[in-house]
Amino acid sequence: MNATGIPLKEPEVSAAAGDTEQLERAYIDASTRVPVLMFYTSAIAWLILGTLLAGFVSWKLHSPDLLGDVSFLTWGRVRPAHMNIMVYGWASMAGMGTAIWLMARLCRTVLRFPLLLVAGAAFWNIGVLIGVGAILLGDSTGFEWLEFPRYVAVILFVAYTLMGSWAVVMFRHRRGDQIYITQWYLLGAFLWFPWLYAAGQLMLFVVPVQGVLQSAIGWWYSNNLLFLWFGAIALGSAYYMIPKVIGRPVYSYHLATIGFWTYALFSSWTGMTRLVDGPFPAWMITASIAATILAMIPVATVGLNHHMTMQGYFPLMRYSPTLRFTVFGAMSYTVFSVVGLLISLRSVASYVQFTDASIAYSHLGLYAFFTMVIFGSMYYIVPRLVGREWRYASLIKLHFWASAYGIGLMILMLLAGGFLQGADMQNPALSFSESIETVLPYLRGRSLAGILLTVAHFIFAYHFGLMLLGLGRTSTVPTFLNPVEAEISGGH
Amino acid sequence: MARRRLAHHLRQRLKALHPVRQPRDRLLLQKNENSMNDEPKTPLRTGQGMDYGEQADVQQVHAAVQREKREPRVGAEPLSIWLIAIYGLAIFFGGAYLGRYSGNFIDGGLDPMGAPPAPKKAVAGGPGGGEQVELSPHDRGKKVFTANCQTCHQANGLGVPGQYPPLAGSEFTTGGSRRMAMIVLKGLQGPVEVKGQQYGTAVMQPWDKTLTDKQIGDVMTYERSEWGNNASAVTPEQIAAMRKELANHPESFNAPEILGAPDQDIPGGAPPKPGEATKPSAPAKP
Repeated sequence: MNATGIPLKEPEVSAAAGDTEQLERAYIDASTRVPVLMFYTSAIAWLILGTLLAGFVSWKLHSPDLLGDVSFLTWGRVRPAHMNIMVYGWASMAGMGTAIWLMARLCRTVLRFPLLLVAGAAFWNIGVLIGVGAILLGDSTGFEWLEFPRYVAVILFVAYTLMGSWAVVMFRHRRGDQIYITQWYLLGAFLWFPWLYAAGQLMLFVVPVQGVLQSAIGWWYSNNLLFLWFGAIALGSAYYMIPKVIGRPVYSYHLATIGFWTYALFSSWTGMTRLVDGPFPAWMITASIAATILAMIPVATVGLNHHMTMQGYFPLMRYSPTLRFTVFGAMSYTVFSVVGLLISLRSVASYVQFTDASIAYSHLGLYAFFTMVIFGSMYYIVPRLVGREWRYASLIKLHFWASAYGIGLMILMLLAGGFLQGADMQNPALSFSESIETVLPYLRGRSLAGILLTVAHFIFAYHFGLMLLGLGRTSTVPTFLNPVEAEISGGH
Repeated sequence: MARRRLAHHLRQRLKALHPVRQPRDRLLLQKNENSMNDEPKTPLRTGQGMDYGEQADVQQVHAAVQREKREPRVGAEPLSIWLIAIYGLAIFFGGAYLGRYSGNFIDGGLDPMGAPPAPKKAVAGGPGGGEQVELSPHDRGKKVFTANCQTCHQANGLGVPGQYPPLAGSEFTTGGSRRMAMIVLKGLQGPVEVKGQQYGTAVMQPWDKTLTDKQIGDVMTYERSEWGNNASAVTPEQIAAMRKELANHPESFNAPEILGAPDQDIPGGAPPKPGEATKPSAPAKP
């Protein structure tokens, strides 16, 4: 199939009605411009910073002497700084930008109270900035993904309250009697995040639970953040972008319903799988593993729903950047969940526990799944905000392949290295440092993958900067990844 | 016509918000439009990316919005039987896994296979024993003592002068287990001389209805090895034998009855501790 196969909209509405709908969309898009671009710009700035820190962290793992004398550049500080920048700076802000745009469009109402969002984004940026500074200066709480000190948590929570209440107000003012699937996920995400963040903060810092239970709370938080906050936004975006770009209805409402509710129900239980063989009651961890098995239900359902929607239209990924990134991300959701299940089973987990395999898993979720979907949505949304088309198809292609190969290589390296290290750690004849030496080549490979990702991010940031400065193409056709005319002349 | 008015209104506000850009390369584009078009060429089309029912002037408003497909809708395909089978499999395996590795849902059960925590025979009675089932007879006996005996005989085993006889260093406690078992099982009343002191104002109640053989054995073992006492341990089997022997004895013993019984251990007990193997029945008289 080539681009001529993109299906048409049937003339089902009168000319005036169609006119109105398009004007309405254009008007809503225009009203989202400032807040969404603010979120996107901040997110991409954090992405670049986080990428540089990631490269530094990765390099230090095999060249530990690199700037080892500078206290705020030691591994124990730069790694949490990198993770928190990626989680709160990049992923949360980019996800919120996409969520805001989708929310306004799907509620079919002009973005109300933009000041809430602008103030929210500003506070959020300040919070992340202070938090990262605090981590680098040594004021970190030591809980993964919750390293920001308490005063930063307060700032983030205030910022979030502004944005969360905005989402609720928007939903309240929605027009039309149908609530589209994407809105389920977005509203869920907007309500789940404050619950997760407040519960994590309360139970770890305000009224701390005792002893080892703290690490259970920590894993519960970071796992649920991955699923119920980032995952929900990404799935919501995929549910909009895929049918929108190919112009075809989502395959099944029933599948969407089952997929959504089982996702909300089961994935929130899966956090304890990281504690296998830890000092916890066995049933607690086993219940989590059983929930991971049950989480295959939403994976199969959502995956099938997307697949059947796409069926026959996969060749369109050759042209549409949005579709290519989004489908890559949606497929990664399946891979992410299956890998998550495999490394959770007790027999496997006792090998890969405390190895790089868990880092591979986090990157699968946060990058291959979430970030790729969000890149896809950005390629769709940004031209609608700045009124220009992406300037270079070649840069988009380069971005995609560098990202795809980079993250693929990184996950393979970390998984392979993790399994080998786990086998070595099980072998009582080998010392721990010997197991580290086994991983060394894989860590170098990971750094290589990191270079690819860095290239991808710089290309994207540059391209986004061009768009922001109004240097995109002025055209009425989108920027296709491949020239369409060659296909047509070849095909016909 | 309300729709038209709304359209007009929206367009005006939109123009204010989002100035229309005239494509500079519009002429160039129109030359290429047939080759760059993302939609099939039909005679209806007059401009780039136009859909059915669009008017040419609308097109300048916002090209990206213009060429969009309609908002996504949702189909209503039924659930496939294979998907239901996958649900069944996931629920089956999830449940089976939970049952297999639940550790019997014990609070402190760290072993997913559900075996009770391994008995720590090597360190029995040591500081490592955390579970009740792991306690040594001495430690179990201490619990029985605290719950039942301590009120009168006191935690230090010295009793109360004139009222409750001491257990620490008492000839009845440190002597043969037969006399002691008789007292514990059936009780004691009347005057009695312990460690040269006269007692007798209080009555020792019988415990045979209240405590099990195991509890009595444990508490006797505890009393016979605490506070500097060093007499042989007492097993539940010994108590069971004594209980049988005394089954027809109606009420509390008095001191002469006790002293009339031989001062020796109940037969069938555990092997005596190495230190006292030579004097199993020797009364520890001061």
